[in-house]
Amino acid sequence: MGAAVKPGPGQMGETVLDLQRLLTMANQIGDFFAPYPPERRAEGIRNHLRTYWDPRMRQDLLDYIASGGDGLVPQVLEGARLLVETEHDKKGYYGPPKA
Amino acid sequence: MAHRDRDYGTPPRDSSKTVSLEIDGFKVSVPEGTSVMRAAASIGIEIPRLCATDSLDPFGSCRLCVVQIEGGRGYPASCTTPVGEGMKVCTQNDKLGQIRRGVMELYISDHPLDCLTCSANGNCELQDMAGAVGLRDVRYGYEGENHLGASKDESNPYFTFEPSKCIVCSRCVRACEEVQGTFALTLDGRGFDSKVSPGQMETFMESECVSCGACVQACPTATLMEKSVIDRGQPEHSVVTTCAYCGVGCSFKAEMKGAELVRMVPNKDGHANHGHSCVKGRFAFGYATHPDRITKPMIRASINDPWREVTWEEAIAYAASEFKRIQNEYGHYAVGGITSSRCTNEETYLVQKLVRAAFGNNNVDTCARVCHSPTGYGLKRTFGESSGTQTFDSVMKADVIVVIGANPTDGHPVFGSMMKKRLRQGAKLIVIDPRAIDLVKSPHVAADFHLQLRPGTNVALINALAHVIVTEGLTDEAFIQQRCDVASFNKWRDFVRQERNSPEATANVTGVAAESVRAAARLFATGGNGAIYYGLGVTEHSQGSTTVIGIANLAMATGNVGREGVGVNPLRGQNNVQGSCDMGSFPHEFPGYRHVSDFETRAMFEQEWGVTLEGEPGLRIPNMFAAALDGSFRGLYVEGEDIAQSDPDTQHVLAALKAMECVVVQDLFLNETAKFAHVFLPGSSFLEKNGTFTNAERRISPVRQVMPPKAGYEDWEITQMLSNALGYPMNYRHPREIMAEISRLTPTFKGVSYEKIDALGSVQWPCDDATPEGTPIMHSEQFVRGKGLFMPTEYVPTPERTSSRYPLILTTGRILSQYNVGAQTRRTENSRWHEEDRLEIHPHDAELRGLKDGDWVGIKSRSGDTVLRARVSERVQPGVVYTTFHFPESGANVITTDNSDWATNCPEYKVTAVQVTPVSAPSDWQREYRAFSEEQLALLEKAGAGAG
Repeated sequence: MGAAVKPGPGQMGETVLDLQRLLTMANQIGDFFAPYPPERRAEGIRNHLRTYWDPRMRQDLLDYIASGGDGLVPQVLEGARLLVETEHDKKGYYGPPKA
Repeated sequence: MAHRDRDYGTPPRDSSKTVSLEIDGFKVSVPEGTSVMRAAASIGIEIPRLCATDSLDPFGSCRLCVVQIEGGRGYPASCTTPVGEGMKVCTQNDKLGQIRRGVMELYISDHPLDCLTCSANGNCELQDMAGAVGLRDVRYGYEGENHLGASKDESNPYFTFEPSKCIVCSRCVRACEEVQGTFALTLDGRGFDSKVSPGQMETFMESECVSCGACVQACPTATLMEKSVIDRGQPEHSVVTTCAYCGVGCSFKAEMKGAELVRMVPNKDGHANHGHSCVKGRFAFGYATHPDRITKPMIRASINDPWREVTWEEAIAYAASEFKRIQNEYGHYAVGGITSSRCTNEETYLVQKLVRAAFGNNNVDTCARVCHSPTGYGLKRTFGESSGTQTFDSVMKADVIVVIGANPTDGHPVFGSMMKKRLRQGAKLIVIDPRAIDLVKSPHVAADFHLQLRPGTNVALINALAHVIVTEGLTDEAFIQQRCDVASFNKWRDFVRQERNSPEATANVTGVAAESVRAAARLFATGGNGAIYYGLGVTEHSQGSTTVIGIANLAMATGNVGREGVGVNPLRGQNNVQGSCDMGSFPHEFPGYRHVSDFETRAMFEQEWGVTLEGEPGLRIPNMFAAALDGSFRGLYVEGEDIAQSDPDTQHVLAALKAMECVVVQDLFLNETAKFAHVFLPGSSFLEKNGTFTNAERRISPVRQVMPPKAGYEDWEITQMLSNALGYPMNYRHPREIMAEISRLTPTFKGVSYEKIDALGSVQWPCDDATPEGTPIMHSEQFVRGKGLFMPTEYVPTPERTSSRYPLILTTGRILSQYNVGAQTRRTENSRWHEEDRLEIHPHDAELRGLKDGDWVGIKSRSGDTVLRARVSERVQPGVVYTTFHFPESGANVITTDNSDWATNCPEYKVTAVQVTPVSAPSDWQREYRAFSEEQLALLEKAGAGAG
């Protein structure tokens, strides 16, 4: 949409949302999937992030994890890892979590 | 004249057995239990009557409907006499005529003969019956004792009660009992002294009357009459349309004189409301013609500038150029749109189409984000479809009704009345709510269990109920094995039966005694058809989606899905919450709840729309605000939604709005959001446009134009103009063409068309080749997703905790007479019932703080503070305070936090830790609000548009 695009915060290494808010949201998702078996847990978190989060928010989360990821519950780190690992074979809609 | 609906005199009877009889020599067969009066009416013979009407059980008091039955004695009332096999009935002969004339003489001898100047002239059943029985003279004069001097009660703002015209038929009293269930009216005295009385000989306004209009509707004379009819005369034509208030979606006849609305009359054929109404839909339509309406487009460069009235062309061109400029400067993700559940399906469809096709991104959201988005998430995951499972009528076959976090008699009053009717018939009731809503105890209705939990502990309580059902062997194994994903059930069962989920272990968290939870769980699981109804007290929590999933788990575990009388029933707050969600208003999905990353669906939309579409989700409303504050989101198109008042953490929202460079508001009034806008596009009320609304039972109902748009355009036309100015062509000539496109692109709407809606009156989706007349009950053979999915629901306490600084929990709700942000109802006489928001506080907490009823109190949370007057009430439990949020100056959302549901970001309106203290002055925020509002209204005055 035109050449002279002023960089928005998401493009300048800042986050689209307030970082603390982003981390809280990620941990809340992690909390929901906590009772799931490990494989389903990571898959559930990955699918939720991919289904509902604006890609810039996902990228902000991944960037934060790359810089250490302090304060995130372990299952979010697992889900985020799966998000990266399956990026190349990303399919369309992942559907609801399985049992 | 607008015609009265056909009236069969008594209600229909539902029986598989048929009875045959002869009436005046004509053979007729009707269901067993039908009255002689109704059987006669079914073959076109109208027996004179006054106390009978088919919305009420027969009463047999007026003696006008007498008939003769061969072989029978005397002259029985046809309304109370059931048909019998082989019966031979005579409805008219000299003797019957003589009796009827005698009865009419007595009525008329105590009735003012002012027919020519009477407001019911031309629409009076007494007048009609006088004609029908051939009354020619009245032998009894006015010399004797009579009621002609009885004084008129004009206390109700919408109707008058003129007892001198009352014939004591008791239809009003019975309507209040049988239809509305309020029992506000009584017949006081006996014989000649009998008179209709609101409450204990009070005026209507002093009484328990909720102004639903059922009594006015039932009155056969001018005794109870709408003031609008008294002022304007009888209407001359009517148009069937759908109410623009709550998610019940009542069908109404807009009764008109030319383009002037005289009254709204509930439609007897309305499939959601069956001729009933509430004070909002029936009477509170005056906002549509209120002088505050803005009817000229306006623009301004800055929110500190005066508004400038411009032509439609200039306003649209300016808005489009600003959106283009912002996208050029900040990228094409820097703009978005918000639509509303107050808009029609066709309007919301066009807004999301504009965002996706003209803006080129998926930054579109709807106000369901802040109410029922967790319903969409939870029910899609577990059942496979983002919708409730039942019809409203289904409640009449429920044996155990569970109401969780909803207040039907205030929020969904017409359905609340139906529910109360079923409860009076003997259904059991479990209320799960921090507050004692009316259903807990009201005339002839009492909850069997009121589980008065602490706000924010829904999931713990639902898990405890599930624990009892699982550990006590109360699950429906056959249903689970046949209909559900058994592996998921096994995992869920193992989860909920853990001791930490037991009622005993969770009692400390929920505050509900374990034995009550156990007893309620047993009742739900074993009491027959179990139906769950829930509202925003479920969804507006940090675990809103988890609770919805928990409710679905409970319903599946007990086999309460897929037939009448059961199901999971989200009570939607606004009329078109279901519809706005169906229409693809969320940033991650196209119409019909199909994800934007779904290749096939996206390809279908790309082909129809002729553009390439984004395959990634866009920003949700709270994400838009956050992005605005961070500078990456600069332009917003808002249709029909008042985010500045309705969204949580007001100061955060206002800061976000101020940070944007172009806010375009399309609305009826200069609402709170419009005070931060740069372009105002004057919208049309529901009376001024065509379209459809979809109610909480997935019922698509017609919205029909009864008067021209005050600002010249229907809302869909405005969106279309904006899209065209943005360079994406839209060329619809009528909303029926928009619906045709929706049905082409959306499998669940495949069979929906305006023609079908007109033919059937309404239709419930899914409506496709297999279900051409719609689907009243969902998941009847199998779940939409195939097998029902159980999901574990771990209780995670909200981060919003009480502390010594904030020792109370504030929760919020709404009241019968006002509607959400109040933009509509505050501009009607409904404010007579509720002129301000108050803070309910328990006597114990009030005493601790030295507060009395009516005192001004400061309410301070971690987000902000405001001031309201206190109402000391035992409806709330100690430690919990409650307020409504209908007035912007109340600042209820100044206090609420930015906590939100883990899955959907639906705000946690229902749990805010606060402190309450006596004060003597408004809060700083309120002072700033008043100053800012006055400033904005002054800037509006300069536009010459009239601030009202």
